[in-house]
Amino acid sequence: MLIALPFAFTAPWVQDLFLFTLMYAALATAWNIIGGYSGYISLGHAGFFGLGAYAMGITFTHISIGDGYRPFFFLPLIGVGVAVASVPIGWVAFRTRGATFAIVTITLLFVTQQLAFNLRSLTGGSQGIAIPTPSFPVSTYNVPFYFGMLGVLALSMLISWWVRGSKLGLALFAIRDDEDRARGLGVQTGFAKLASFALSAGLVAMAGGVWAYYLSFIYPQFAIDPLVTIGMVLMTYLGGRGTLWGPVLGAFVLVPAQKYLAYRLGASDFYLVGYSGVFLVVILLMPRGILPSLAERWRKLGLRQTHHDERAKEVAAS
Amino acid sequence: MTKRLLAATLTAALAAAVVVAAASTRPTTRAANAPIKIGISLSLSGDFSDPGKAVKRGYELWAAYVNAHGGILGRQVQLKIVNDASDPNQAVSNYQKLITGDHVDLVFGPFSSLLTGPSATVANRYHYAFLEPAGGGPKVFALKLHNLFFVQPAPVVKCGDSFVRYLKTLPAAQRPKTASYASLDDPFSSPIADAMQQQLSSGLHVKTVYKTIYPAETTDLTPIVAKEIAPKPDMIIGGTQSEDAYSQVKGLVQAGYSPKFLFFSNGANSPTEFPSKVGRKNVNGIFSCSDWTPVAKTNGNKLFVSQYVKKYGGTGFDIDNNSSEAWAVGQLLQLAVAKTGSIDNQKIIDTLHKGAWPTIEGNLSWDANGSPSGDDLLVEWINGKLLPVYPPGVAVAKPFSPKPPWGG
Amino acid sequence: MHLFVQACILGLLTGGVYALMASGLALGFGVMRVINVAQGALIILGAYLSYSLYGHLGIDPFVGLLILTPAMFVLGVLVQLAFLRPLRDEEREELSLLVTWAIALGIEGLLSVAYQTTYRSTITSYADQSWHVSGYYISVARVYAFVASIVVLGLLFGILQLTKLGRGIRATVQNPTAARLIGIDTRMVSAVGFGLSVATASAAGAVYGIVFPFNPGSHYDLISRLLTIVVLGGLGSLGGAVIAALFMGVGESVFATEISPTWSSFLFFVVLIAVLVVRPQGLFGARVRGSI
Repeated sequence: MLIALPFAFTAPWVQDLFLFTLMYAALATAWNIIGGYSGYISLGHAGFFGLGAYAMGITFTHISIGDGYRPFFFLPLIGVGVAVASVPIGWVAFRTRGATFAIVTITLLFVTQQLAFNLRSLTGGSQGIAIPTPSFPVSTYNVPFYFGMLGVLALSMLISWWVRGSKLGLALFAIRDDEDRARGLGVQTGFAKLASFALSAGLVAMAGGVWAYYLSFIYPQFAIDPLVTIGMVLMTYLGGRGTLWGPVLGAFVLVPAQKYLAYRLGASDFYLVGYSGVFLVVILLMPRGILPSLAERWRKLGLRQTHHDERAKEVAAS
Repeated sequence: MTKRLLAATLTAALAAAVVVAAASTRPTTRAANAPIKIGISLSLSGDFSDPGKAVKRGYELWAAYVNAHGGILGRQVQLKIVNDASDPNQAVSNYQKLITGDHVDLVFGPFSSLLTGPSATVANRYHYAFLEPAGGGPKVFALKLHNLFFVQPAPVVKCGDSFVRYLKTLPAAQRPKTASYASLDDPFSSPIADAMQQQLSSGLHVKTVYKTIYPAETTDLTPIVAKEIAPKPDMIIGGTQSEDAYSQVKGLVQAGYSPKFLFFSNGANSPTEFPSKVGRKNVNGIFSCSDWTPVAKTNGNKLFVSQYVKKYGGTGFDIDNNSSEAWAVGQLLQLAVAKTGSIDNQKIIDTLHKGAWPTIEGNLSWDANGSPSGDDLLVEWINGKLLPVYPPGVAVAKPFSPKPPWGG
Repeated sequence: MHLFVQACILGLLTGGVYALMASGLALGFGVMRVINVAQGALIILGAYLSYSLYGHLGIDPFVGLLILTPAMFVLGVLVQLAFLRPLRDEEREELSLLVTWAIALGIEGLLSVAYQTTYRSTITSYADQSWHVSGYYISVARVYAFVASIVVLGLLFGILQLTKLGRGIRATVQNPTAARLIGIDTRMVSAVGFGLSVATASAAGAVYGIVFPFNPGSHYDLISRLLTIVVLGGLGSLGGAVIAALFMGVGESVFATEISPTWSSFLFFVVLIAVLVVRPQGLFGARVRGSI
């Protein structure tokens, strides 16, 4: 929990960069709860992000934003709301497994996007929703949003950490290893899956809420964007699927890199190719991600060292 | 052990980010002869890359011309263009960086209302004037930003008004009695058709026999065409972008149905692409609306066209409207600064809100929210050429109706 | 009524093209247990290549198929060898999704650089023509597309049923271990099977490009429909995919015409969800332990 400190960087654009980094770190951590711990790869989580964003948007076209801090207090409500809404969705999806599950979640993502486009009276359709901007002082405008996102990240990590140590976590890991055996042993697989799904959906939605408020504009194709899912998944895989800090690491590496490249390299459609390349490299060469691979390397080094010491002792003793 | 490793890695990543931040922050020079820096975020990749690049050409062409002719207030103009990959997140980050990191003197707008809205909000926070070429959707003006100026004669939603007024000039017997409306669901297309439908049904008593709005990614418009022609309407109005306009025309040709009046808010106003996509022999008599044409008699238009053709080749009709809109933004800035004598953003904002400003896009003036108070041009395809036909003051040819059959 | 029949005709023609596209996807899953999310992108790649062959060399898209299909077959085999074979068996299903998604993005990026993002279509001389038959109009291009799709599908079925290779593929789909036991080189069969699925993608793309406008981003739209069709038909069932495709083609067209164009693509998803709730293995899929 080292970096969770307020920043001495007053340049708004730097704060903006970190805000997005924190956002993806939160998203990846939340995704990890279902994708990493249980092994069920949900490719539709961007849909929940969008739901959170729209929830924020729709609420504040009807209520005023008060002193500007009110939307932040609505976040937990949005989180819980989307988590509850995700249960029936999860129930349908969990009737399948493996690749079919992933396909179903992709489909749900597109369904959500279509709904956002088509339910014009509610969502504004393709014209989107505009959220009123708060009158925070200009020089520190980004700071409240930064802390909002930091809060979501902290909550995500807290929940992720708690799940790991709890019975729920044990159940999830058991499911990842061999679901049918777990079920045979009496593990409540159905409940575990739904619970982790709901938790992760709620957290993702909260991140979406902060994002919507920050950007102050919500359009369907950007709020519900398959590339957001890919981002979450890629960062989790990069950092280490199933670990606590892996997703955060993945985000801290990829988000600044992507923003920097987009800003500096200018006119280049190569960024999709670049994304694709990174993804392929990660999955084919480092499927367990940075943290586990490094940890294993370290352990092997340690083992070799111990072995070396023992041999040395043996030689010395003889 | 792993935790320490993690800490190290994260610190390294942070340090890298800090270095990036520091390296990109340049100190401001206030020297009198230092170049004027104008920051712009453009869509050079992604969905909007083609119009984005057209906007870039317009901005760069203008900057080159201005610099070759004394600059602005004796200072050279330096454009700093960054790519937003057609993503509003990136556009917001870009303008934040340009204004607070690179400390540019001025900013110009990006492409598309989708990106203009969030970007203008950022600019407004820092009290920068926001002259923009391509954000004319209703949501942009709903932001009520005093610093925003849409550099086109009319807000997008009023594009079809000239057509309605033209219809009013026809004797009653020749006017259309029934109409089908088929529009694309996006912030610019369906609002135009909706506005026209309102005026046509109340002012001209044109009966709506079919109306639909189809989703953005619809590639197959044949079912919709089948339905819109079923009641045999006199007139078909399409609130469209380009692809769906082409699809509708092709669908109508295949179905063998030629209405007396055919209007598309976009697609049919593209001088070179439209005939190549739907067939040269199918274009005559189709109406559309446009903010600019190469033959319009507006201030500096001949100069712009000749400069563009000199640099990029082709003819005036190959020029994408986005380039002309971008040039007009620069031209407008020049005119404003000539009046204020300084590049102070607040002075520019105040001065532009008064009076009318003659640009290649026409004589422009705005309301308090940046919405222009003029009218777009009605254009029609006559003998294979796209010409402005209404209002009479700027028309180059006379409009004709009804539309000839396909292939004629 | 007239409109309904017209819609059915249109839907059937479109469904035929979907069937060709979906068959490749089903085959890929069958032989390798790989969900090839890049199928959409490969189809679009085929469309672009066909477009270029026609635009630069004047080769009619249907003729161009003769060049394109073998070339894409080779590409498919290479992709399989480079990216899919290295995946370990247990995780292959899920990881293949991610790997092929990455490939799809890569293809989209390359196409954007090469062709920009404007919409293209292969406009042949018969693109505008239509036949008028007893009050209904039938687009010539769509009929050609439908016929071509049926022909290629027929070829595919022919290979699968009549050749030794085809029998090897079918055996591998049914039971890879048993297939290996009787001496079938399942690795080669997988590579070939995948190559075939990519080859069909290119044919489908060439055909698609004549009827519909496309740009590099179009693959999302395609793949979401194809995935629905394949799951509906039952993963691994080729025949199921074809039937599901025809069904969805007609369904979508009728829905768009009679009820609402806005919600017609939504129909796909509703049907999918409904099927999954009632019969998760799809219409013709097998209930296999631990997979579906």
